[in-house]
Amino acid sequence: MKTAPMLSSAFLHPAGQTLPEPLLALRRERAGRLVDMPLPTRKTENWKYSSRHLKLADDMAISLPVGGKTGHSLAVPGYKVVFVNGVMIPEASEFPDFDGLSIRSFNDLPEEDAGKLADRLGSTLDPKQVQFAHLNGARFEDGLLIQLKPGAVLDQPLFVIHETVGDASGSAYPRVFVDAGANSQMTLVEEYISDGDAPVLVDTVTEFNLADGANLTSIRLNMEGENVQHIGATGVVQQRNSRFESHCVGFGGPLRRHDLQVRLEGEGAETKLNGVVVTQGKQHYDNHTSIDHVAAHCNSEETYRNIAADESHAVFNGRIHIHQDAQQSNADMNNKNLLLSSKAEIDTKPELEIYADDVKCAHGATIGQLDRIALFYLVSRGIGRRQANVLLTMAFINELVEQIPVEAVRETAQTRLNEFFEQTFIEEN
Amino acid sequence: MLSIKNLHASVEGEEILKGINLEIKAGEVHAIMGPNGSGKSTLSQVLAGNETFEVTEGEVTLNGENLLEQETEERAREGVFLAFQYPVEIPGVSNLQFLRTAVNAKRKHRGEEELNAAEFMKLAKDVSRQVDLDPSFLKRGVNEGFSGGEKKRNEILQALLLEPKLAILDETDSGLDIDALKVVSDGVNALRSEDRAILMVTHYQRLLNHIVPDYVHVLAGGRIIKSGGRELALELEEKGYGWLGVKDDDASN
Repeated sequence: MKTAPMLSSAFLHPAGQTLPEPLLALRRERAGRLVDMPLPTRKTENWKYSSRHLKLADDMAISLPVGGKTGHSLAVPGYKVVFVNGVMIPEASEFPDFDGLSIRSFNDLPEEDAGKLADRLGSTLDPKQVQFAHLNGARFEDGLLIQLKPGAVLDQPLFVIHETVGDASGSAYPRVFVDAGANSQMTLVEEYISDGDAPVLVDTVTEFNLADGANLTSIRLNMEGENVQHIGATGVVQQRNSRFESHCVGFGGPLRRHDLQVRLEGEGAETKLNGVVVTQGKQHYDNHTSIDHVAAHCNSEETYRNIAADESHAVFNGRIHIHQDAQQSNADMNNKNLLLSSKAEIDTKPELEIYADDVKCAHGATIGQLDRIALFYLVSRGIGRRQANVLLTMAFINELVEQIPVEAVRETAQTRLNEFFEQTFIEEN
Repeated sequence: MLSIKNLHASVEGEEILKGINLEIKAGEVHAIMGPNGSGKSTLSQVLAGNETFEVTEGEVTLNGENLLEQETEERAREGVFLAFQYPVEIPGVSNLQFLRTAVNAKRKHRGEEELNAAEFMKLAKDVSRQVDLDPSFLKRGVNEGFSGGEKKRNEILQALLLEPKLAILDETDSGLDIDALKVVSDGVNALRSEDRAILMVTHYQRLLNHIVPDYVHVLAGGRIIKSGGRELALELEEKGYGWLGVKDDDASN
């Protein structure tokens, strides 16, 4: 019998030892659990479309060096914290001077706080579904702890720039942990970018804890280069009457994987998940989302759009789990897909598990192509075919892009998407 | 301006146009009337370059240039404009963005400076008022949720902005109430000029009360079977298509 491939032991040796002891202990403990960890294969249900894109050579096990140049791409109208290769660069950051907000590098935590954090790291995620979050737990060199005090309303968005500099092969393990106190409000923008062209692995974990009445908006832009395999997990736990809103915009790469898991634990919690994914060439993008309605009277609304060109491949797997006590749940999931070529592939799969009897749960998925009649209408007005195709393709996702609540991010996303599609339709005049 | 000689066209192997001959000079307004299924819309679509229809024979020139060899977008930039019978709804593309892209494609083709957002907005607002379309429609998706009359006014708005040499109006009067018909007709009349040709395709003559044509042609079975002046339309109104020995399967409308 053929044995399943294992995670190379080379991956179990973090480089830096700068973290406070409780976090080092946590890391050792996680690494211990990863010995003999089987890598996902075609037969691993939650990786069946993506396992063949996972290419973990031993030289990628090396932690990418700390520091290096930063070239973050957003003209940021808010606060920002810059991480390079998973380690905070204070001199490139602009920390908020805001009363209700504490932002600290994991490396700067006093031992007591580090101990409390160690107890909670990973608690928002379903350990069975996020194999690579464990690897992050065994390898993180730093991280960002964001704590918003009860009632605090952050006056500007906080940008966290995660830049990976891959001049040589290696990996980086960015980690963010957010505690939003009762009735607090903030917008967090996570931007993943890269520099260099050596093959690298970026393995990220972001966790959000929303206390009663907290209102948190998360924007995640994945704009890394063709050398980056990106595997990310985001965990969200929501208490009573909290509201979470997520906007993910992802550009394809050799491997892009994002798991987004939301647990609605308090009654009256609301969550809204928007996602846009575009792929071209031979790129691959896999979004796995999971919403757990644990408490009653919660609402979830999810809208994801994939656009796949050339020979690229996009995957959407949307799970909704309505627990037995989650009466009066309202869940709506919608996934629309646009194929721009006959060789592109999109796999979409809703997974509904409903154990309560008084719920509203709707889901819909479509796969289509550009409308020939609309195309004729545009070109009959003198608009070039390439531009007409770009307009129609953008039209498919504009509704979601327009909902991104931070203007600078919205404009960046629009510009990048336009460039992406102009590239896609380059053969047509 | 426009010269059509022995034009044959088919769709999915079925011949719809069976030898159309038509000459339109600059400044003239021609009306093509005919029962449903006679080929009126096919003629409009073929002139605009819809690839669903295959031209099997014949010649079409615009100011001496072979139109059939040009791509749809080239024809448009050279001055062909088709007002659609059923304007297409395109959610996600704003009307303003659509119109500005079209106008700038044409300006670029003519070697003119492209209009920036502010310049175009002013122009578009002025022309919107001319066709009695509230400028708020510029911000909506192209034709998205527009009523029938609003869609037709949006077509005329495009014609006014694009200033075509040849404007083809396909059943522009269909689905319009009397007030909307008046507004649309005023828009079309504003298009009339000495260096522009207009080809109106219509089932009914009521539009011709508002936009008086110089010539009227009757299309049936893929051929023009009768041509005349404006009085031909009135005669058709009075006697019906049956007068010409043509079956009108849409007589109930």
